[in-house]
Amino acid sequence: MTEAGSASGAGTIPPGLGMDADNLHRLGQTPVFDPVRVEEVINRYRGKRWVLIPLLQEIQEVCGYIPPALIPRIAEAVGMFPVQVQGVISFYSQLHTEPRGKKVVTVCRGTACHVRGGRSILKVVKEHLGIEEGETTPDLEYTLETVACIGVCALAPNMMVGRTTYGSLNPSKVARILGRPKAASGGD
Amino acid sequence: MNKVTITLDGREVTGMPGETILDLARESGINIPTLCHHPLLSPNGACRVCLVENERNGALLAACVTPIEPGMMINTRSPRVLERRRQIVELLLASHPDTCMVCDKGNRCELRCIASEMGVGMLRLERIPQYGAIVDANPFLVRDLGKCILCGRCVKADQELVVEGALDFLGRGFGTRPATLQEVPFEHSECTFCGTCVSVCPTGALRERDALTSGSTSEQVHTTCPFCGCGCSVVLEIRGDRIIRARPGTESPVNQGTLCVRGAYGFDFVHSPERLTTPLVRRGAHLEPASWEEALSLAASGLRRLREESGPDSLAVLGAPTGTNEENYLLQRFARTVLGTPHIDNGARLHRAPSYTGVGGTLGYPGTIGTIRDIECAEVILVVGADPAASAPAVAYAIKRAVTRKGARLLLIEPRRTQLVRFASLWLRPRPGTDIALLNGLANAILAEGLVDPDLVTTRTDGFAELVSTLQRYTPAAVASLTGVTEGELVQAALAFGSAARAALVYGGGVTRARRGTDTVKALANLALLTGNVERKGTGLYALQTRNNAQGACDMGAVPDFLPGYCSVEDSAGRQKFEERWRTRLPAGRGLSASEALAAAVAGRVKGMLIVGENPLGYFPDPFAVEHGLKCLEFLVVQDLFLTETAALATVVLPAASFVEKEGTFTNFEGRVQPVRQALPPRGESRPDWQILLSLAEAMGAPLPFASVTDIEREILELVPFYEAPSLGLEAGLPTREAEPWARRRLHERLFPSTFGRFLPVEYVPEEEPSQEFPLTLVTGSSLYQFGTGMRTSRSSRLSSLVPRAYVEVSAADASVQGIWDGEQVRVVSALAAVEAVAKVCADQPAGVVFAPLASPEARFNRLFPAVIDPQSSLPVLGHVAVRLERGRLDD
Repeated sequence: MTEAGSASGAGTIPPGLGMDADNLHRLGQTPVFDPVRVEEVINRYRGKRWVLIPLLQEIQEVCGYIPPALIPRIAEAVGMFPVQVQGVISFYSQLHTEPRGKKVVTVCRGTACHVRGGRSILKVVKEHLGIEEGETTPDLEYTLETVACIGVCALAPNMMVGRTTYGSLNPSKVARILGRPKAASGGD
Repeated sequence: MNKVTITLDGREVTGMPGETILDLARESGINIPTLCHHPLLSPNGACRVCLVENERNGALLAACVTPIEPGMMINTRSPRVLERRRQIVELLLASHPDTCMVCDKGNRCELRCIASEMGVGMLRLERIPQYGAIVDANPFLVRDLGKCILCGRCVKADQELVVEGALDFLGRGFGTRPATLQEVPFEHSECTFCGTCVSVCPTGALRERDALTSGSTSEQVHTTCPFCGCGCSVVLEIRGDRIIRARPGTESPVNQGTLCVRGAYGFDFVHSPERLTTPLVRRGAHLEPASWEEALSLAASGLRRLREESGPDSLAVLGAPTGTNEENYLLQRFARTVLGTPHIDNGARLHRAPSYTGVGGTLGYPGTIGTIRDIECAEVILVVGADPAASAPAVAYAIKRAVTRKGARLLLIEPRRTQLVRFASLWLRPRPGTDIALLNGLANAILAEGLVDPDLVTTRTDGFAELVSTLQRYTPAAVASLTGVTEGELVQAALAFGSAARAALVYGGGVTRARRGTDTVKALANLALLTGNVERKGTGLYALQTRNNAQGACDMGAVPDFLPGYCSVEDSAGRQKFEERWRTRLPAGRGLSASEALAAAVAGRVKGMLIVGENPLGYFPDPFAVEHGLKCLEFLVVQDLFLTETAALATVVLPAASFVEKEGTFTNFEGRVQPVRQALPPRGESRPDWQILLSLAEAMGAPLPFASVTDIEREILELVPFYEAPSLGLEAGLPTREAEPWARRRLHERLFPSTFGRFLPVEYVPEEEPSQEFPLTLVTGSSLYQFGTGMRTSRSSRLSSLVPRAYVEVSAADASVQGIWDGEQVRVVSALAAVEAVAKVCADQPAGVVFAPLASPEARFNRLFPAVIDPQSSLPVLGHVAVRLERGRLDD
């Protein structure tokens, strides 16, 4: 009874508990994840040593991010303090405590891309998505990030959408790739 | 193990494998500067100030984390090392605000000290201070992250020393900072404001919050904390006539560099404007200031008149565990020889008598066996009826360290969710009042599983056969139905406890305050004897003391049934020793306990009382009866720091000096005698209790042969076999004792004092079921921020500002039945009285049980308890009582 109760509680974040509560409010919706699978993942790692990072990665796979409300449960399962788990999550750039978009747009800010107009490309992408770096669109479709180099400098300026790389970018190509009206003009 | 030889600054030195370069260098007298390193914390090599060079390969190594290896050629001050160290300090300073002139840390800042040692003055680098928000919403500490150098000491102090789990690093790179979970303010985190992180912070990033306690001090006094029975060492920093701050004593084996919120922030009660500064005498309905001569002669003549008119038996004395050993010794001698009355008691006995009768009867030594360090060595720790995180924090830290760092298993027997539950591998929640059944059930299961220590039980104990026949009835099924603990849990706990090579048993007020507490202690002692957990390191039976010198006050004989050193008053040979030494005849037979004396006052047999530092109205059960008893007295003299409810009823009130204003010793719950040192002159005209007692004896025409604390100490050393002069050396010239002081109080590696232990079987006796009218059971306990009756903590500005309003914890089930919501005002009503409190709804609380801190100054929950006296310990019972909750305030 307790198990089921807490499992269903894990699916929605109690107000004021998560550090992404403000962000969620702004997004206007709560991401939904499968509490049964979360429970299954946590229990599979319970009581084992040195499993925190794989456990966190798997939680992130299930939920799309690591809901802060789950941190105490994860900590309890691996015998750590919640604050230690939070420290590990915040240290690794691959782990996130805020919901992420279905597609991550990664704009290159490396030297080669910079001299070929990477800064303008980033600006155009921001306008299209209507978000800043590190943010996620309210419909949870896109998350915008930058990176120092993606290794195809010959095609600069570059960006990645999900796992696909796009080179020789210009504003109209960006519009075509992202395939949505500019957030500013399509506001309502 | 093969020793390792390395070359250190051209010298061959040898160390043990695993030792770090820093350790070896310090042993060899070579100084390597350090910043993040702290002797009490594990090294992490964060700051790199301790860089040294291995000349074999040119590697620069952090000395604090690099183990020595054969053949190393270490240079600790090559030009390259010195230049790099200097660069590191410059970089640290470059990202540090340039505010040393106005920083509270001042000359205590380790960064500043290192910079000046290295000659770093004006910086060659551009400054990029990383400013952070200053956090100071709580009453205790201020955090200025701009001054944080990320040494990690606060994080380690939190996780390794006090094990609260409030802090860890958050983020990476420049954004890294020590943070609480979700970065909530400290007061909403796991932080208990123990002040340990503040005491280890090398810079001004963490400091005490209070404008008055700022800056550096020149005078430091090492003394012993006067709050709970742990007896932590504290260093008081003094300027003028004020305590500026308190730091933990790092050398003490008791607190090991930690304190709790009371020890770190609670001492300003000594500066309270409410302190009594002149004697008061009653003129009509009022107490009015008087001179010492007048007050003393009035007190002496009043006591003398009663002794002459109604005999010495008409006088009673009540002392306090807040007094020093010397004062308690003097008080009992004053009572027995000057007044000639056998009626001497002290407030500590309320919590301690079950221990000394229960443990004294089974193990032979009336007190805790083992030390805090032993708890840390145990494989299994069983905690019964105690919330050490609130009542004895240093013990809680030790238990949590054992669990998190040494893999010990913690078994809890406790009805409510205490802080330790997070660390427990098994949590048994018996119904209140069924502890004996549960403990007997555990012993039975241990017998059934064959986990008895055969050697100890067959050769060195008696009463085993009786125990076995008693335990037969306590089968797991029977115990499960009595206690509500499942059979599975019971057997699991028995297996864990019985099969552990070293198990420690810790019990607290939940056991000793309850009805039949003495029997519960006996059941615990039986359990320890049965499994052989009494004589070895890492084992033992630990009675937590709620009050600082509870052990000492009883050791010194300020009790009705024992002379100093637990010499029974009924033992005529023992009494003779004291009679010869004191050159007087002692009253034969047992005296009246405090509660009995108050009842006798109502009956008119006790007419005068001397109360020293105690406030029976604050926490004796049925205070209305106590008040009636006190009012029936013809003559009452009270010595105290404050005008307490009790003092307000007195004929003469004598102002006493606080613990920082006198010398002496306290004995902690382990039996360790520790020094109390004077740091300030007595406030106003107040005087130490021992001086007052000597003056009173003189005024009564029977002066006692002491002129100083040392004189009293000499007599105690002579008459009490196990009393020791404090190892820290209070007074040179005292006779030197064994090298290991208080070893003679211990049972490790030695026979029981009487060469054998005795099983004392006890039976569970059911108590009356909660009635329709009072369906809930109120359980009492300690609270961290309020202590005892709150006489001192409520007058500490910082402690009292965080104290929640008087509260009562209610289970979610009971709350929903009654429609009570969290934070609502309720009345707690027993058959005797009603008390007003705020309801705190707790999901984990078992239904039918409500909890309240025993004595908060706002709501005296002791009023709810009827004055039932436990026949075995002649103590009033304060364990639990049937109550009901009503919504609303008292006057509704």
